[in-house]
Amino acid sequence: MSDAPIITIRNIYKFFGPLKALDNVTLDIRSGEKVVIIGPSGSGKSTLLRSINRLEEIDQGSIVVDGFDLNDRTNDINAIRQELGMVFQSFNLFPHKTVLENLTLAPIKLKKIPKAEAEATAMKLLDRVGIKEKATVYPSRLSGGQQQRVAIARALAMNPKIMLFDEPTSALDPEMIGEVLDVMKSLARDGMTMVVVTHEMGFAREVADRVIFMDAGQIIESGTPEHFFKAPEHDRTKLFLSQIL
Amino acid sequence: MTEDTIRIEVTDGAAIPREKDKGLLSAWRLSFFGALAVIAYLLITRPDPYLRVLKFVPDGILVTFEVTVSAIFFALILGLITGLGRISQNKYVNLVASTYVEVVRGIPLLVQLFYVYYALGRFVNVPHMIAAVTAMSVCYGAYMGEVFRAGIMSISKGQTEAARSLGFNRGQTMFLVILPQAWRTILPPVGNEFIALLKDTSLVSILAVADILRRGREFASESFYYFETYTMIALIYLVITLILSKGVSHMEKRLSHYV
Repeated sequence: MSDAPIITIRNIYKFFGPLKALDNVTLDIRSGEKVVIIGPSGSGKSTLLRSINRLEEIDQGSIVVDGFDLNDRTNDINAIRQELGMVFQSFNLFPHKTVLENLTLAPIKLKKIPKAEAEATAMKLLDRVGIKEKATVYPSRLSGGQQQRVAIARALAMNPKIMLFDEPTSALDPEMIGEVLDVMKSLARDGMTMVVVTHEMGFAREVADRVIFMDAGQIIESGTPEHFFKAPEHDRTKLFLSQIL
Repeated sequence: MTEDTIRIEVTDGAAIPREKDKGLLSAWRLSFFGALAVIAYLLITRPDPYLRVLKFVPDGILVTFEVTVSAIFFALILGLITGLGRISQNKYVNLVASTYVEVVRGIPLLVQLFYVYYALGRFVNVPHMIAAVTAMSVCYGAYMGEVFRAGIMSISKGQTEAARSLGFNRGQTMFLVILPQAWRTILPPVGNEFIALLKDTSLVSILAVADILRRGREFASESFYYFETYTMIALIYLVITLILSKGVSHMEKRLSHYV
């Protein structure tokens, strides 16, 4: 883990009408760091995550990702997004493409990687997420857990520097959560920079370098998992943890 | 509009006989084979004038198809542009596209045909075939625009977000991810518009384009066999549209292979 932040978020605000979804959030994430963001629904954690690759445009403040200022319109957002893999709650695989094509579409079209090479890389990634044998089927034939593992592999196929996870297990049946978390854990072991919005406290405890608790658009508390789960400082954090643990 | 909204499918094309819709499928079979049987019966029992009509109109069938296929081609292009314009975030582009749809949909097709051929004919001499295809394309382009818009809107926002998060720009997202999926939703109504357009091409006979109906009129006015001629013409249109509606239902089935 290096000390230089790869993501710098400074005093950002986001409004949805009268609602303050993000209220003066400041956060640095270092390269290789695993940050888990937790908080009640509507606390702004997904909005914060989505603002990192500008799926959500912030109203004030600045976000710098790998040296690129997201507010600077002369920067090519599409190039920045190639460095930021994203995994969604609802998988969002491309249903008209096979599993393999889901993985190769972006590398072939955007990075101009030859088809054979892209497919070889894709097969390695599918092997890594344990789903190689499903390469030629369409996503609708897969279980939720399998789809999410393919979605992780699809994001990895672009060889991103950072992976963003937006409640990756929330849409899954309980028995499939483990297989997805296992893939994420192995990714963490390999040193990937990860920002994860989740309700999986076990994952946070095991994997996170830092846990961030958000409520009402603000970062309330931030610290190591030990600090967080053993001695949280703020009442709101205690209340939240008492409700979910 | 939520996904639960009940959709009332009203069409000016033809009812598409889907496998699940047993009633309609039977109706399709009855109409199709009934029409063929009636044609066969008429040809055998009264070859004069029915066989003479049938020999007289094939040129017209060709012209009808020529007009239909050219018009649908341009209507699809216009429709795609219009549909994209209608969902554009640029308010001027949006306004232009929406106004086109409003204006064209508010004017009867027959009036549009007259307008292109006779009214604009005062300034430019448009050959009748080109006038016919132009008017039909402009008219159906507006309808097609709405079909494209609805089809694109039917694809979940998550698909756009997934594509954009991989680094695809707007255009790539539209053409690589959204449209290929929307096509499945779009195809049945496009097929329907195709059939509706084919039927509406009978209007171009008024511009002296020698389509099926025009050929029929020529035959009838020479031979005075009005009943026999128009019976045959109606049956020919019916058989063609029934074949096409079956074709649309087949394409629909093939396109849903990944669901």
